[in-house]
Amino acid sequence: MKSDIDPHSGRPTTGHEWDGLKELDTPVPTAFRIWLLASFGVCVPLWLLYPAWPYVSDYTRGFLGYSSRDAVEAAVADRARARTEALGPILQGDLETLVHDTALKSAYQQKFSVLYRDNCAACHGRDRTGQPGFPNLADDHWLWSGSPEEVEWTVLHGINHTSDDTRYAEMPAFGRDEMLDRTEINAVTDYLLHLNAAPHDATEAAIGAELFAENCSACHNDGAVGGLETGAPSLVDEAWIYGGDRASLQQTLIHGRQGVMPGWQERLSPEEIRMIVLYVLWANNDDG
Amino acid sequence: MNTHHQKLERHSVGFAIAILLVASIGGIVEIAPLFTIENTVEQVDGMRPYTPLEQAGRDIYVREGCYACHSQMIRTLRSDVDRYGPYSLAAESMYDHPHQWGSKRTGPDLARVGGKYSDAWHVAHLNAPRDLVEGSVMPGYPFLAATALNTATLPAALTALRRVGVPYSDAQIAQAQRDAINQADPDAGYEDDLIERYGDKVQIRDFDGDPNRVTEMDALVAYLQMLGTLATLPREDAQ
Repeated sequence: MKSDIDPHSGRPTTGHEWDGLKELDTPVPTAFRIWLLASFGVCVPLWLLYPAWPYVSDYTRGFLGYSSRDAVEAAVADRARARTEALGPILQGDLETLVHDTALKSAYQQKFSVLYRDNCAACHGRDRTGQPGFPNLADDHWLWSGSPEEVEWTVLHGINHTSDDTRYAEMPAFGRDEMLDRTEINAVTDYLLHLNAAPHDATEAAIGAELFAENCSACHNDGAVGGLETGAPSLVDEAWIYGGDRASLQQTLIHGRQGVMPGWQERLSPEEIRMIVLYVLWANNDDG
Repeated sequence: MNTHHQKLERHSVGFAIAILLVASIGGIVEIAPLFTIENTVEQVDGMRPYTPLEQAGRDIYVREGCYACHSQMIRTLRSDVDRYGPYSLAAESMYDHPHQWGSKRTGPDLARVGGKYSDAWHVAHLNAPRDLVEGSVMPGYPFLAATALNTATLPAALTALRRVGVPYSDAQIAQAQRDAINQADPDAGYEDDLIERYGDKVQIRDFDGDPNRVTEMDALVAYLQMLGTLATLPREDAQ
């Protein structure tokens, strides 16, 4: 089959003819062909320099010895080293002193907030003021004491968590487990509403006061003022985790509560935990 | 210069063979590594097949399309490792059919979410995400807590997984329904049975806070709380 020249373009045709139509046989431009071959050529040094070809139980590692795992581990180690250099001496100090160090607070509050938001904000809220079921961390009401060491312990080991050193606290299910009957639960509820100056039945509240002394004050303290640092909150300070209205109180009394806070020992470094403790405690001394 | 090409494309048999040759290179490049997968997936301690309850939760995760917004692969990038923890290993997906690596993130990566939040948080968050996370675009899944878990299909599901290589034993398949129901009931006195079949990292709790029945919420939260907790990572070994 011989090709001939198309008179209009001056280029050869494929030689085929379909109903009087002929097809041009224009080659790929030379510049493009060179570029394509060059890009193949680039592969060769890349194969030699970087991990490329697999074989049965291994692969060619390349002369640069690059590994994405080594790279990320080096980057993480660099970051950790830089942080230790910048913060190590500071964070080793006494937490109590650090909490009241206003210069430190203004310099690092913003930085530490990133760590808090990644790990704590989902439950305790971005502004550290808690959410229904998850305690407010900024109101200076503490279940286990607000001393920096105790707060650090809670962050490390959690509450009702699986670790051995975790804090343990459980509000029993007085209703479900039949420790109090329904009228008794109503009476205790009225007593708690009375303590909080909410609308209540005074007769019921008087009965509730006795029931409270027998059943509840061991953990919640006499008069429900809390402060025993057993994980049982004060019930007169207007800081409610699960709600202080009649329905929420009854729900708590009937079904109990056993809030879980994960321990962070395995997820965060001791330094990071100290950063979070400081960030949380700084919310409690905004005036300082 | 064009004459070789012209010769080639004008011989149908020769051209067909040339096409086969070129196309088979693509095939070999994709298929050949599968023959060496035993060698390329590193050995990691602690991996086990999912318990029936976790597997049921995983099926719900796939059914609801969670993978469309959540990845389960922490990449070898500092930003990923900083936020989500140690990068994922191939072995951590060895019993996944199909794997849930995902290819984009609208929500966070979930490869190591197990133990990061409490069960109560997961339940409240799945019911109504914006109650807990301001500005979240995640849809709510309140029907999970209201839907009893269908355990009748679990033995068949585990059998199917065994056929594609997950080493479920006869006992694990035979007891799948009981195992699923009792993993969500800490008062069942069933701990020893589950530990015997699935090891001591199995978590036995009433995940959804409703002690009266086993729901789809139990299964999904059991699955989420297990994610990333099984493998003993090389870095932990070294410590």
